[in-house]
Amino acid sequence: MSLSTLPNNSPTLNNAISTLSLDFTVSFSQFETAIKQNISIDNITGIYGDSGSGKSTLLRVIAGLEKQAKGQVSFNEVTLQNSEKRDFVKAESRNIGLVFQDSRLFPHLSVYENLAYGAKRRKNPKLTIEEVLTLTQLTSLQYQNVSQLSGGEKQRVSIARALLAEPKLLLLDEPFSALDKTTKSQMLTFLKTIQQQLQLPMLYVSHSLSELQYIAEQLVVVSAGKISHVAPIHQAIHYLNNRGETSVKTSLSLTIAEHLPEYGLTRLKFNELQSTEQSIYLPLLALNSQRSDEESLIGQQLPCMIYARDISLCLTEPEHSSIVNHLPATITAIDYNNTNALITLKCAEQVFYAQISLWSAIRMALVVNANIYLQFKANAVHSYHYTGSITHA
Amino acid sequence: MIDISADILALVTTLKMAAVTTVILLLIGTPLAWYLAKWQSRFKVFFEAIVALPLVLPPTVLGFYLLLAFSPTSLPGELWQSATGSQLAFSFSAIVIGSVLYSLPFVVQPLQKAFEQLGDHHLEAAAMLGAGPIDRFFSIVFPLTKASFITATVLGFAHTVGEFGVVLMIGGNIPGETRVLSIALFDHVEAFNYANAHILSAGLLIASLLLLSLVYLLGNNLNSNLNKKQRVTKL
Repeated sequence: MSLSTLPNNSPTLNNAISTLSLDFTVSFSQFETAIKQNISIDNITGIYGDSGSGKSTLLRVIAGLEKQAKGQVSFNEVTLQNSEKRDFVKAESRNIGLVFQDSRLFPHLSVYENLAYGAKRRKNPKLTIEEVLTLTQLTSLQYQNVSQLSGGEKQRVSIARALLAEPKLLLLDEPFSALDKTTKSQMLTFLKTIQQQLQLPMLYVSHSLSELQYIAEQLVVVSAGKISHVAPIHQAIHYLNNRGETSVKTSLSLTIAEHLPEYGLTRLKFNELQSTEQSIYLPLLALNSQRSDEESLIGQQLPCMIYARDISLCLTEPEHSSIVNHLPATITAIDYNNTNALITLKCAEQVFYAQISLWSAIRMALVVNANIYLQFKANAVHSYHYTGSITHA
Repeated sequence: MIDISADILALVTTLKMAAVTTVILLLIGTPLAWYLAKWQSRFKVFFEAIVALPLVLPPTVLGFYLLLAFSPTSLPGELWQSATGSQLAFSFSAIVIGSVLYSLPFVVQPLQKAFEQLGDHHLEAAAMLGAGPIDRFFSIVFPLTKASFITATVLGFAHTVGEFGVVLMIGGNIPGETRVLSIALFDHVEAFNYANAHILSAGLLIASLLLLSLVYLLGNNLNSNLNKKQRVTKL
């Protein structure tokens, strides 16, 4: 179990790094959640686990909604609860926001009144309702009845309402799990933008690794009521690969280098830490947006995922192939199982995972330290980044 | 010529009793219904049974025990007398206390059901936005359960107007103090004064019918508003 190593010297208002110190147990009739962990929250920290693993309970304890939790919880060195000293700061006094999966908008209030509910009760207002309406693109919906909204709109109102209470920490409990894929990628891109603008630390709970991979910089893995792993996002996903709990994938962040609309591709380059000049191409990102938006994406970091089953290997550089991405790499490990082989490779400092058939592995006589080429189609590079116009409107 | 001045006095007493009773019922019935809705304990059923008791118990049984309790020789009656200087039994206060107990389920049950249906979801959301318990009650609970508050108020009021046995046992028949419509009606029948009895009976019948129609009308309107909203959501 590793502690997050993010530095936390004197957190200031504009610093998005905050510390949560957790040491508590909550028992339900058949299930116990026991968490002992310090978490440094830098921008967005993801909490991953199967349903029933205790990740929602973890969030509810931090929020102050589980009064029966024993132990202690503090945020930025301020004690929120300490059952030994009988200290318990009530949910309404914690100044922590929570966005629920089922939005929980107040049905007797309009969109505007829902937003005003949080705004009315905050202590030091900095944001105006109008600013948040603009930020969340709800201005045109503000007079609507909340029952008339679509799922994505409801969650946008729910997030806007939580933002207007101006919390020190925002918790999100599977906020987009009920949404279709397009709306989800819109909302994820939108949430990330808001986080960057407001510099508000967030804890984002989900059972979807691809969602978390796109939005979070750090991952907390919860299983069977305990925190089993805390690591930067890509490392954490590779750790889960090795535990064999998810389909194996390569998780990495790349810098958007240029858009090539004439070829329908966007070129990504490795960042300096990965120390290679190679490029990776994926389907054009800025498909529907304006020229200026295209430019604004350049230089940004894009979290991407490539499934191991989508990467194939080649002994020589595959120059005469329709497959656009090919990179030189060195094999660092080979794991055989019943039907296939999982090959771990390194391209400069970046780890890749390739899953090939046993037959291919034997035929190619793969050995550790061999130099080889890996290849994958542009389509195999997955990212949740939303390319439509709404988020940039 | 029928003399109805005594009956008008009885009407005023009845309305006064029902109004005071309803206000007291809402004040004590709301928190009681809240705790019954939120409380999770084996003993909860016992308290629910106590609240529901007046629904099945002959009112004279309740009246009998209250009469014993209110008499100046028993502790509650004695305490009342030393605090207020007047006797509790056969007073306006006595019939109000009796009515509060007797109409309790008509106020507590609809509210308890509404609070149970409301659940914790919206309250948790409100707490996360900085609303304390009292704030949450007035900003969330009350607006979302308004229909049940109207039902509880009308049922509590109407049932108190229609009550007979308890008032008969502990109120006696003092004009302007404890002589309510149902008692006045009984007196008219006993005295074969059917003309007055008809006026009171028909009046009570029509007034009760109107009140209940109002309850169902409000209930239907709120429901159809909800349905309308749901239809729009589906579109």
